[in-house]
Amino acid sequence: MNLFPMMLGQVVEESFWKRLPGPALYGFLVLGLLFGIGLCFALSRVPSNMRRWVIVSFTFLAGLPYVAAYLWPIPVAADFQTEIPRNGVESVGFFLNQAMDPVGTITNIIQGFLLGVGFYSLVRIHLTKVKRKQENWGFSIVLLTCFVLMAGFGLRDWQIRTFMDDTGALNVRDNWTFVNYAQDFLFEGLYQQMDSAMFSMIAFFILSAAYRAFRVRSVEATVMMASALILMLNLMGALTFAQGSAINELAGNTNNLFLLNFKINTFADWLRSTMQIPAIRAIDFGVGLGALAMGLRLWLGLEKGGVT
Amino acid sequence: MTIWEKMQKIDRRILYGILVVCVCIGLFFPSTIRTDPDPSSKSFYAAVQKLPKGSTIIVQTDWTNSTRGESLGHFENLMRLLMNGEHKFVFYSAADPAAPQVARTVLARIVAERKSQGLREYKVGEDYVDLGFFPNAEATNTSMGANLKAAWAGRKSKTPSGTEIDIFKTPVLANVNRIEDCQMMIVITASQSIDIAVQRLAQKIDITALVTGVVGPTVLPFYQSDQIKGVAVGLKGVYDIEYLMEYGIDDVKIEGQPYATAGKEGPVPKTEIGTRFSRGRQYYGTLHVALTLLILAVVMGNVAMFAARRRKGEKV
Amino acid sequence: MNLNYDVIKITAGVIATIGLYSILYKENRFYRLFEHIFLGLAAGYTIVATWKDTLYPQWWQKMMGQVAEGDNPAVPGYWVYAALLPIGLLAYLVFNRKHNWMSKIPIGVILGLWSGQQVQVWWNTWGPQIFASMQPIIPTTFSPLAVPSRMEVVGGQVLPIADADRLAAVQQQITNNLYLTQALTNFIFVITFLSAFSYFIFSFELKGKLMTGVNKFGRWMLMIGFGAIFGSTVMARFALVIDRMAYIVIEWVQALTRGV
Repeated sequence: MNLFPMMLGQVVEESFWKRLPGPALYGFLVLGLLFGIGLCFALSRVPSNMRRWVIVSFTFLAGLPYVAAYLWPIPVAADFQTEIPRNGVESVGFFLNQAMDPVGTITNIIQGFLLGVGFYSLVRIHLTKVKRKQENWGFSIVLLTCFVLMAGFGLRDWQIRTFMDDTGALNVRDNWTFVNYAQDFLFEGLYQQMDSAMFSMIAFFILSAAYRAFRVRSVEATVMMASALILMLNLMGALTFAQGSAINELAGNTNNLFLLNFKINTFADWLRSTMQIPAIRAIDFGVGLGALAMGLRLWLGLEKGGVT
Repeated sequence: MTIWEKMQKIDRRILYGILVVCVCIGLFFPSTIRTDPDPSSKSFYAAVQKLPKGSTIIVQTDWTNSTRGESLGHFENLMRLLMNGEHKFVFYSAADPAAPQVARTVLARIVAERKSQGLREYKVGEDYVDLGFFPNAEATNTSMGANLKAAWAGRKSKTPSGTEIDIFKTPVLANVNRIEDCQMMIVITASQSIDIAVQRLAQKIDITALVTGVVGPTVLPFYQSDQIKGVAVGLKGVYDIEYLMEYGIDDVKIEGQPYATAGKEGPVPKTEIGTRFSRGRQYYGTLHVALTLLILAVVMGNVAMFAARRRKGEKV
Repeated sequence: MNLNYDVIKITAGVIATIGLYSILYKENRFYRLFEHIFLGLAAGYTIVATWKDTLYPQWWQKMMGQVAEGDNPAVPGYWVYAALLPIGLLAYLVFNRKHNWMSKIPIGVILGLWSGQQVQVWWNTWGPQIFASMQPIIPTTFSPLAVPSRMEVVGGQVLPIADADRLAAVQQQITNNLYLTQALTNFIFVITFLSAFSYFIFSFELKGKLMTGVNKFGRWMLMIGFGAIFGSTVMARFALVIDRMAYIVIEWVQALTRGV
């Protein structure tokens, strides 16, 4: 793939890797498909003692562009659209920079296909329930019906808006058809509101848990509760303003500015910046080190059991 | 059974009912509450207000109606701030496929609101561009940092006349070749997508954030280390921004005291035009009620526990 | 039509919300019904979003190219993308007993891509934070002990210093010095960070009174962090409930009164 004409902003022409729409492209598409199927067939023939190495190799090659792009010297102020590399090292740097987008695209495509496994699983489980008339199979019918309705109306709505609405008429609701209304009702009217309701239910459980289970039984629990209480008091502007005004008045009457340090929001800001932030940073740092170690082990195939 | 023991056995459904009643009552009495905005909210407001007029802003909107209580207010305030500053912006999502549609709906409402107030109407393809959804935030942000034009290649924008053109031919992105050509990136999120953006782009562009309360504590370390220039956290953050839009920083004063005192960012004027107080003001008073209820629940639960323990100790 | 549609839409949302909230009273079939509706809609929407936002623009359009249309020239298609279909579909072999090892290949590709980014990601995240955690802990002056105030008492009222020159002088003084109180604050910052971080050291055993003491202190500091996270999460969750109640008692009622 010759990237230099693209980098110079020239028109990209046909090449071996890309064809204009037509019989030639469709022929090559079949070739590409056969190549993929052939690769899968070849992989299925790999002996069992080599399988781990195949998976580890794929993992390593997938991560290599990002590691190489980070470690390889790349000109800092290069404009990859209009400039040309001056030597071999810069050529590799330019190539790696250009590779970021296709690598990201391939990730997205594979992830898109992977999501289908989840849908297939979900549909299979509920269809089995319906077929065997297991407990609550009626609810499975409801789930599958909503699944089909949302997918059907959603795809049709997308099709209409993408291919049949050149003038943008569907931006005005008066021009909507039944499909557009159905998609809006299912998405905006039902799905979004239920999504919000699901998340908000946790607040009720928090209240109940705080009443029944949040007990000051140890030093750690006391410290945690004190920290949480100070933060929650600071969230209440009315309270902090009233208390702050009282402190201001006291400081004014006694001519003692040191008292200003006892305002809730002053103390809460101090606690947040001096103790809460470093504590959270320490937690995230510990987790981050673990993620780095795990990432390196996975990439290099050192993790026993890892992907395999 | 003593009253304390009865209190410890109270049915949780009664607690739920009390919460619902308190919240519903609070919603009917929205009020402007004096507060001291958080330093991070002041930094956010200052950072956006100090942008040169007509700047190009990247808005990564990664929220959906599941966090509407906070993120909707954040997004509405941000749109008002950007439009008041005559800034051009692109918006997209890298976390949730439903997010762009949610943002479009809100944006349309803010545009209509400004039109009803006699303010200039923002137009797609001229003042802002809708990029849609990019799956895989890691790959998207990495691509944007490496080669913005390639990362957004092929995306088209509708114009006011209804036609479609390449986004880099619109007035919004005509002078943008790299991410460094944009003045700021603002991330509105309820997830770790802010971490992903900071990891990959903080060295190339100034980033600010509007996050929910769940994510807030983990984002504040980025603010402390100056990796992000400002962050408004949660519902308090929504109210802080509206408060600052109304009163500015060290701007509007009452009896010699500014409504919001200046910190390291210095004085910043209030917003003169358009809506300032809206959703944050509507919800903030009710938040007081809910938090008071929770604090009372914790305190009473512990008092009941100590009283029961003391009674057991006396019996023995 | 539009007004009635709005009323119907919001009413459906309210019924769905109340249906889900019914679990708070007790487990019931009403809740189960709406739970299954929600799952079905979520799965269906994810399929739509996956196709229209990922597979169509990033795979199908790049593979098939574009025919010339009006002012837009033809765009060639990359036929190699067709090979990604069988590779992506390898994941479905998880259901096949003989070939299910091949389903780990696309998973390995995704994990490899994630792992490869961690090197860059780690330094970009933690480099600046390590620098920011190195705070000065030795004061440059002991007179005064505390940071000079930018406020003053005027007529029994606490106000910002009115004289601009004096305010600038105080500001300069604060910028040029590190006072004892600031140094103590920075010291507490560093100790909090180091002691909390010591809790995550598992590579060797922490022996001795000093190390176990630091570890115990670190645990207390972690609790401060968890308290902050708890408080912030409480605000977030309550905000969601407030919004849901606003949707029911304000938006729905408004829609009903407008629609009638």
